[in-house]
Amino acid sequence: MAGEPKSSPTTGSWPGRLVRNLLLWLLPAVAVWVLCTPFYNRFLALAGEQLSRALEFPAVTRLYVQETHQVIVTRSDLSGKQGFIYKFRLSDLHFTLVLTVALFLAVPGIPRRRRFENLGWALLISVVFHILVVFFYVKFVYSTQLGAWSNEHYGPVAQNIWGFGKHLLDLPFKLALPFILWAGFYFKDFQQHRRRA
Amino acid sequence: MRTPSPPPPAAPPASAWQRYRRELGFLIFFVLILGASFTLISWNPVNDRVIEPFTGAIARAGGATLNLLGQQTKMEGTVIRSSRFAVNIRNGCNGVEAMLIYFAAVLAFPASWKSRLMGVGLGFVAIQLVNLIRVVALFLTGVYLPKLFDSSHTVVWQTLVILSGVLLWVLWADRFAADPSRAPVEPQSS
Repeated sequence: MAGEPKSSPTTGSWPGRLVRNLLLWLLPAVAVWVLCTPFYNRFLALAGEQLSRALEFPAVTRLYVQETHQVIVTRSDLSGKQGFIYKFRLSDLHFTLVLTVALFLAVPGIPRRRRFENLGWALLISVVFHILVVFFYVKFVYSTQLGAWSNEHYGPVAQNIWGFGKHLLDLPFKLALPFILWAGFYFKDFQQHRRRA
Repeated sequence: MRTPSPPPPAAPPASAWQRYRRELGFLIFFVLILGASFTLISWNPVNDRVIEPFTGAIARAGGATLNLLGQQTKMEGTVIRSSRFAVNIRNGCNGVEAMLIYFAAVLAFPASWKSRLMGVGLGFVAIQLVNLIRVVALFLTGVYLPKLFDSSHTVVWQTLVILSGVLLWVLWADRFAADPSRAPVEPQSS
């Protein structure tokens, strides 16, 4: 039709451009995550340990990073080899950061400065979330994984709360966090694009 | 002499809720549906009667696909075994998490029920297809590149399955989700 603007190569369909940008950002996001993981794991172990110790009396929890990806939970008041009681993979808690970074940088039609600002906020929220998951993991270990000691120190209600809280945070909300954050920051832009289309 | 009418009072500034009503509504519904659905599948009767048999079906489909690819696998419950590698398909490997995240996003999005049902049906098929590819690819990784199996299992394929759910939702919301609040425009008579 005469007078109707023709679409240029840069104005393809919004989902198409999102997928293309995602493919472009995914590998750099993986590379940054792999490079940062050793430092981030140490930070998470330290922050999780501080939060756990702040909310217990006496403060006995120690978290040690082992072989880059694992964290060892220890209690100084328990016997055994240096109080070792449990081990889990810390990197599995935050690999979804790859998705967060790629999704936030791939949104088409948003100025670069705003995309990076939003990504900064999203990463800050993710860090807080990860510290909370580590804390719930430690409480889950204490309340359910130490046999007689757990039963002696935690009642059935507390065991269910810590176990179920860890389950919800470590599975659905961890996996959905990139999408929740993305929708929180870009839902309006997505809706505006749908109205224009 | 007529006195000039006072200017209309300025509209009160919109509250944060009014400004972000749609986003917040979507996110609150999404989180509630997600939490409720994961609570439901964590309940032992649902897990034993629905999730475990479903996981078994996924394992059988994976085993059958691998046999088509010449891997000569045998099934032992939810374990796919060959002479070179064995993998146990457990909760978490059945695509249910990605499906529930996708379903929660579809149901929370402002759209007609017909669009939502179509989205749920299409999403189920598409996500399970991606998950079947994941099971087959992970088994082959275990056979031919065993050192990469752990990172491929958790980091690579979980990311790809969740990403496929997110992209599927974007596609559904963009192309198929009819917004019930947008009534069709009546043609004007001249």
